[in-house]
Amino acid sequence: MEKISAEVIGKFESEGDANKLVYAPLNAPVKYRRTRIYILEYEGQVQSAEDFVNRSLVDDYADEVFFTGEPAVQDFSFYIDYEMKPGALDLEKEAILSSHKGTEGFNILSLKLVQRIYIFSDPSITSERFVRDVCNPAIHVWSVTDSNGRKVA
Amino acid sequence: MEKRPHALLLKFPGTNCDAETSRALEEAGFSSEILPIACVDEKSLESAQLIVLSGGFSYGDYVMAGRLAQLELERRVGDALMRFRDGGGYLLGICNGFQILTKLGLLPEGSLINNVSGRFICRWVKLERRVDDNAFLRGLPENFELPIAHAEGRFVAPEGAAEKYIDEGLAALVYGEDVNGSTSRIAGLTDRSGRVLGLMPHPERFLWASHHYDRDWVGDGDGKGFGYQMFKSIYTTIAGEMAHEPG
Repeated sequence: MEKISAEVIGKFESEGDANKLVYAPLNAPVKYRRTRIYILEYEGQVQSAEDFVNRSLVDDYADEVFFTGEPAVQDFSFYIDYEMKPGALDLEKEAILSSHKGTEGFNILSLKLVQRIYIFSDPSITSERFVRDVCNPAIHVWSVTDSNGRKVA
Repeated sequence: MEKRPHALLLKFPGTNCDAETSRALEEAGFSSEILPIACVDEKSLESAQLIVLSGGFSYGDYVMAGRLAQLELERRVGDALMRFRDGGGYLLGICNGFQILTKLGLLPEGSLINNVSGRFICRWVKLERRVDDNAFLRGLPENFELPIAHAEGRFVAPEGAAEKYIDEGLAALVYGEDVNGSTSRIAGLTDRSGRVLGLMPHPERFLWASHHYDRDWVGDGDGKGFGYQMFKSIYTTIAGEMAHEPG
């Protein structure tokens, strides 16, 4: 079994005002950037897996994809990863798996979709407000990673 | 009995403008049929002179708008839509349909991504027709209005390409002002054959004068909206071609 992680980022998108992410403004100059991460476990050639990602999950003109496993964005304060709870009905995942149909010269054994939000701020801004307003504990699991790569929540 | 041009509307899970687009086509003179993607194969395309991909959120816009619909269409019919066009058929993509046609490679290179505001936009816009002789647009004035409703309508293309599309007459429609960050204000594209048109605005939402936000709007005085004129244009073109077909 092989594993591949692909982080996809919009080439034409730039940092946005993070006050949009929370219910009440933070009254601070905080920026954010979103990416999406696909983690595939598969049987077959790594090239076939990368081809599948490029063909199905990445926009030729508007996206960039990173297979390194390292954050695609630098100089952030922290980032929040959130995804559907294991066992929850994830229609996006089902649609992607359905589009695959095992015709790509490799078999997907599992697929994980992670939404990532990078926050750019001064140290006084913490992750709690973002986690509270972005993540839904009924359906999501999440983690927070600081700029040193340490999981802090 | 006179044979009417037939329009086939392909419906994906999440397509939600098919009924009013079908109504618009019938108003213009077409016979129409809405076909769920699960029933689509190469043979099902044969009866149509016009294939329409109408607006909505196919497959929930998962991954990116139009991508999963593109993959499903390619899986089901391969390059049959390209052959349909090359064989004399016409293709129209409205909003999500435009996004799908772009992904399928039936329109000039580029992509429709999130509006620069990051928000869904629902409003009326002024449009400029930038092509003189297009089957879908020839009945329209140079400047007109239609409603838009989209989150992913910002057209982007390889560097310099959008300007080239303007120069070469492939950018069939441009916005009168910058509404979503589209490069060169592109609102609609046609291919080199002129048989494929994709546009973000919704012509099916402006069939009659009474659809206009200004209750006093009269247009040409015939009670018809600019969207009706777009459907009538393509109807007239196809009906004219059918009248000259042998047999």
